[in-house]
Amino acid sequence: MAQEHIDLPQGTLDLLILKTLALEPQHGWAISERVQQISQDVLRVQQGSLYPALHRLERRGWIKARWGTSDNNRRAKYYELTASGRKQLEAEESAWRKLAAAVAQVLETA
Amino acid sequence: MLSDLLIRLRSLFRRDSVEAEMSDELRFHVERQAEKYAASGLPHEEAARRARLEFGGLERVKEECRDARGVSLIESLLQDVRYALRMLRKNPGFTVVSVLTLALGIGANTAMFSIVYAALVRPLPYAQPERLTMVWQKDELGRPGITSFATYTDWKSRNRSFEELAVFRSWQPVLSGRGDSQKLVGLRVSNNFFRTLGVRPEFGRDLRPEEDRPSTSQVVLLSHGLWEREFGSDPAIAGKTITLNATSYVVAGVLPADFESLLRTNPAGGPPEIFGALGYDASLPWACRTCQHLQAIGRVRSGVSFAQAEAEMDAISAGLWREHPTEYSASGVIFTPLREHLLGPLSRMLYVLLGAVSFVLLIACANLANLLLARASHREREMAVRATLGAGRLRMVRQLIVENWLLALAGAVAGLLPAWWTPRVLAAIGAGSLPRLADVRLDWHVLLFAFLAALLTGLVSGIVPAVRLSRLALHDSLRDRVEGASGAAHRRLRGLFVVSEIALSLTLLVGAGLLLRSLSRLLEVAPGFDPRNVLTLMISTTGPQYAENVPLRHFYSDVLQRAAALPGVEAAGITSEMPLGGNMDQYSFHAEGKMNANPNLDPSAERYCVSPGYRRAMGIPLLRGRDLASSDVNGAPLALLINEATAREIWPREDPLGKRVKLAGTDKPWWTVVGIVRDVHHHSLDAAPNMQFYVPHEQWPYPDSDMILAVRTTGAAAAMIPAIRQVVRSVDAKQPVSRIMTLEEYIGASVGSRRLVLILLNIFAGIAVSLAVVGIYGVASYSVAQRTREIGIRIALGAQRREILGMLLGQGLALALAGVAFGIVASFELTRFLGSLLFGVTPTDPATFAVVSLLLAAVALAAFYLPARRAMRVDPLEALRYE
Repeated sequence: MAQEHIDLPQGTLDLLILKTLALEPQHGWAISERVQQISQDVLRVQQGSLYPALHRLERRGWIKARWGTSDNNRRAKYYELTASGRKQLEAEESAWRKLAAAVAQVLETA
Repeated sequence: MLSDLLIRLRSLFRRDSVEAEMSDELRFHVERQAEKYAASGLPHEEAARRARLEFGGLERVKEECRDARGVSLIESLLQDVRYALRMLRKNPGFTVVSVLTLALGIGANTAMFSIVYAALVRPLPYAQPERLTMVWQKDELGRPGITSFATYTDWKSRNRSFEELAVFRSWQPVLSGRGDSQKLVGLRVSNNFFRTLGVRPEFGRDLRPEEDRPSTSQVVLLSHGLWEREFGSDPAIAGKTITLNATSYVVAGVLPADFESLLRTNPAGGPPEIFGALGYDASLPWACRTCQHLQAIGRVRSGVSFAQAEAEMDAISAGLWREHPTEYSASGVIFTPLREHLLGPLSRMLYVLLGAVSFVLLIACANLANLLLARASHREREMAVRATLGAGRLRMVRQLIVENWLLALAGAVAGLLPAWWTPRVLAAIGAGSLPRLADVRLDWHVLLFAFLAALLTGLVSGIVPAVRLSRLALHDSLRDRVEGASGAAHRRLRGLFVVSEIALSLTLLVGAGLLLRSLSRLLEVAPGFDPRNVLTLMISTTGPQYAENVPLRHFYSDVLQRAAALPGVEAAGITSEMPLGGNMDQYSFHAEGKMNANPNLDPSAERYCVSPGYRRAMGIPLLRGRDLASSDVNGAPLALLINEATAREIWPREDPLGKRVKLAGTDKPWWTVVGIVRDVHHHSLDAAPNMQFYVPHEQWPYPDSDMILAVRTTGAAAAMIPAIRQVVRSVDAKQPVSRIMTLEEYIGASVGSRRLVLILLNIFAGIAVSLAVVGIYGVASYSVAQRTREIGIRIALGAQRREILGMLLGQGLALALAGVAFGIVASFELTRFLGSLLFGVTPTDPATFAVVSLLLAAVALAAFYLPARRAMRVDPLEALRYE
């Protein structure tokens, strides 16, 4: 457990959730696993905070939920991206890229 | 945003399944995580523990999810309600007292609102009523007067401001042909009357212009009520013939059920129910310019203001005056917007009452606030616990306000009872004859008002105690305190509430006192006649046999003779109109040697066409000269009696006896004054008597077909009703008898609206004082209880019990005096709004103010004294052990 973790910056959890769900519908636990996996365990989602975010996104209409059967054959709540969620993801992705590029530029030149 | 709403609603209404789903979802996560750790080789229990730890507080996550779903506001409100219900159930005494207090306050206000709504707020039952106005012809003194047909015709043809201009006059036809003949209240109206009002018949048709002529005017419209009552709701009534005044009339149609004729020519007679075509043309003798007996109502064109229309009509009137200088006494018109005309006097009265009743609610609020403050000291601990457990301040205030709302809503529900009774109470005190008060009912407007009043009351009475309590709870931790740190501040606040309760009650009591004195002063006014033991009833004569003067006079003299011969009858007479009867019947009075060049400028006097026995039956004193006699018949010299006002006005320094007068026109014969009688209050007891004269009905050229029989009896007047009816029936069974009233009832009816205000204001003042007494007593008891320990110490240290009593009473006295002082200042400002409702007392009548102030101070002191006396008996040892 010597690996270093980065706490998520404010507001990025939504973006990560949307991005994860863009590939395929998932349940909450799988989303947190996936984020950790893809970021090679650098980003760690506070497990408890994932669910309020999911419910908030659902209320905004960017994702929708349905009950399905998980890989180990149990009832699980799956979330998937809606059309407006896809648009939101694109918008947030490009905003994030711009921000990251700008910050990188400042760090390199300054 | 639709998803937002759906999720919120689902969260609210499918709460259980949403909660269950949330639990399932979270549990799945934790179990899945535990499985992962178990798969990596951890022991089963260790894996589960780690998964739970990593997840964080399950309940906290759930709460955050609920927040995220946006249900917390409504949900926590429901929590507040459940909690509040628990708290209220735990304190039944407090709950009952509070609910009763609020029921009185909100109930009185709801009842009053139902009256105000029915009378004033509800729109008039006409299309666009704001464009309707009465149009009066200005008289020589600049007062509004009625008009004539010739003038109306010119007004109508020359103006461009009115969409429609209509006229009407009183009409009381006798309906016969089905059972007993019956006298109806109606109007004769120009054919455009209902078009002016914007009312169309429910079925059948409106009056037609060609029917509004002398030969074709036997056409009527019926009110919905009359159609139901007298014609059994006959659906085929339109086109049928009915008999009115022994003449055939065609029913054109029936008016809608919601149409209510508020325009009345006879305020005492009830709403008109039958409307006949006016049927005038210029050739008729009573269509002349000076034959003023028509009321005009107009609908101003849209876009034209009343001021513009009035200016145009003034110009038209000036033109008419120039063209016919001897036929008008003045130039100009006066507009009274219909609303003002119908509801003006009533609205002032109702606004006074509305103001008064809002004071009752304020007192109820102060009472409840006091109770809450007293209870607050017991709840400081409870609040402190809640604050420690993390309740925010806003949440605590909201919790307390929700409690109050529940109390207020319960109070409002209980308070609907008075509103439910209001119509019956109004009917019982005879307010049904006032316009629109017959329609007071408990409908959704009233319910909505009660609901809003409850919300407001709960907030107003609860906000100060709630804010204070929450502040204290946050500042103080769970320390135990012997006396609340809030003690001093609370005491000041409670003192303030007591002072305002006394002040508000005093204001109401002063108002009620002034009105009471006004009414008693008014009833002390000598009406000019002796109202005891006099029965009156109206006899109408219809049928071709009474078209001639001789049989008509014969009929009345027969009735009079037989009535006078009845045992128990002292005197009997007939008259064309009754004092305080709500009628006006004025004729121009041209005294010899006193006439103006323009006879229209000569004064008018009230005409009573009477039989010789009338003066004795009414008990009107003869001051000089002789009474009318049975020898004053057709052919004998014309004789008349005048009243004192006429004598003063026309012959101020001369003896009127023997002077000669022409009545109703200078082309008429001379009448000779034979006697002078006492003034009679004709319009109302509070108006000075006008000029009046009495002529023998045997000598008046056109005997009235409707006469009122007045009979003075030796015993109770009402007991004679069957005998008198029998007399009329024995002379001619077909002639209807109506309006059977004692003379005392005429007086009662003339002060009816005053009595209504008085009764309501007295009820409100009574509630206010009782609430205030309960409130003061509660505060006094509480403060004594709080100071038991202090009193015990004082007594133990040697204070005399008398001193203790003095100390406690002194505080009460200070509060009572402050309340009375503020109340007097407020009353000085407010009683002038009573204005014309007062009679014979000034708004600042010192006697009323003094009596009321003393009374209230005494009551307040008594409310302080009872608990203080209890404190005096405190056993010092007991008191020191207390808490």
